[in-house]
Amino acid sequence: MNPIAQPLVQHGPVAPSVLSDSLQVEGLSKHFKGTEKSVFRDVSFSINEGQSVALIGANGAGKSTLLRCCVRLIEPDSGKVSLSGEDLSSKSGRALKKARNRVGFVFQKHCLVPRLSALTNVLHGNLAHCSGPRNWAQSFARQEDRQRALDCLEQVGLADFAYQRCDQLSGGQSQRVAIARALMQEPRILFADEPTASLDPQSGELVMDLFGRLSRSRNLTVFFVSHHVEHALHYADRILGLRSSELQLDSASHSESAASLREFYA
Amino acid sequence: MPEPSPIHPASSVLRDRFQRPSWLSSGLFALFLGFFLWSLAGAGMSLQSLIQGLPNMGTIVGEMFPPATDRAQPILEAILVTFQMALVGTVIGVILSIPMALLAARNTSPHPIVRYVTRSIISFVRTVPDLAWALFFVVSVGLGPFAGTLTIIVDTIGFCGRFFAEAFEEVDPGPSEALDSIGSRPLDRIAVVQIPGALPSMINTGLFSLEKAVRSSVVLGLVGAGGIGAELAVSMEMFRYDQAAFIIFAIFILVYIVEHFSSRLRERLLNQIR
Repeated sequence: MNPIAQPLVQHGPVAPSVLSDSLQVEGLSKHFKGTEKSVFRDVSFSINEGQSVALIGANGAGKSTLLRCCVRLIEPDSGKVSLSGEDLSSKSGRALKKARNRVGFVFQKHCLVPRLSALTNVLHGNLAHCSGPRNWAQSFARQEDRQRALDCLEQVGLADFAYQRCDQLSGGQSQRVAIARALMQEPRILFADEPTASLDPQSGELVMDLFGRLSRSRNLTVFFVSHHVEHALHYADRILGLRSSELQLDSASHSESAASLREFYA
Repeated sequence: MPEPSPIHPASSVLRDRFQRPSWLSSGLFALFLGFFLWSLAGAGMSLQSLIQGLPNMGTIVGEMFPPATDRAQPILEAILVTFQMALVGTVIGVILSIPMALLAARNTSPHPIVRYVTRSIISFVRTVPDLAWALFFVVSVGLGPFAGTLTIIVDTIGFCGRFFAEAFEEVDPGPSEALDSIGSRPLDRIAVVQIPGALPSMINTGLFSLEKAVRSSVVLGLVGAGGIGAELAVSMEMFRYDQAAFIIFAIFILVYIVEHFSSRLRERLLNQIR
């Protein structure tokens, strides 16, 4: 049985429906010092709640930088970003961190602590909301948090692996644990930076499938960077394309074809 | 420029087996050789004394056997105290090393100045030899095992502080960045990423420093800082070589047991962490 093919349980708070904009970006620009060209110039778009959006572009087109600039993990030179109507541009220090705590991030590498169990790694997602030893290891955690962490693992189909050390999991399983860790945050929006780049095709499909199902079942906004034209077409509602430092494509995925998207890699 | 011949293009010409060293390196080598020959005299190397000393060595070794067991009880008690000093000193030293190392490691230190200051303290502590620390503590807190324990604490900080800091710096930055991106606090990241990541190396270093502490606590007694060293010094000074042999044998057993158990423990612990 495919471990993921389990009924999804609606879990965690559902974001209020009055907010239709999940992410709003206006006139974002970034130029790294010492380089000739800017990474991107004057990029604007907005993503609705529950939408699944893919960002495509050739290597070095600035996709990952754009993704990071959206939550100011990299500081943009100019422009404005709002998350769920909350302006991030003016925040600093603790307020910025607090704004980030409902943003789940999945990276190309799973970024789990290898010597710790899957359950403990998932529990670490809770560090976004409260600090302290209670969220350091599953053995110190409150019973309800342990249960919630196990539920998150259940949603990615890995509840049976809760007490396995993460260095004993496969690449695809690790990436799913990383997604469970992001779910533990009860995020409003999930960012994924080439989440399937280090996975074999089959595990990659599994991971993308999971994003699609989470987006639908939890009304979760998903914004992912991908090199896979097929993934973008199949799993996203909408596709953004970055080329020559500009956002040159913004359209619904059903109106695009694989051939037209491949031009972005030419 | 002449064309390279097609049979022997420039890149395939064999070089001589040996290259003539530059005048500078030859000069430096000659200088080193001279200094080394002078050092032989300075270090008191003398084959004659060695040959003349051989019969003495034979006599001493002869007198060592059979080892005397008449003072077995006080000697074994002193061995126990030696081990206790090493154990307490190492455990406290390891505990104190952790915050020092966190302040000294590039990726966990709150500020470059803090890092520089802590690093300097750790290297200072490490460069002063343990016997010098022992003399210092004997003068400040008096003769006895407490001075020895303090010495081992300081010695352990010098050793573990440095290696723990290096272990923290070698931890994969990925998980820490991932948790930073969701707004977690630095202390949490140290607890869930740096410490678990560095733990195998810390266990290795900690057990190794226990072995090191046992060996050094044997010598500390020579300057009055408690333990078996004092017994050994007394036996040698009173020409009781048979008693000294018993002490040396007891030390050997202690060091052997500690090393054996620490390597067993290392294997068990490394497989268990989760």
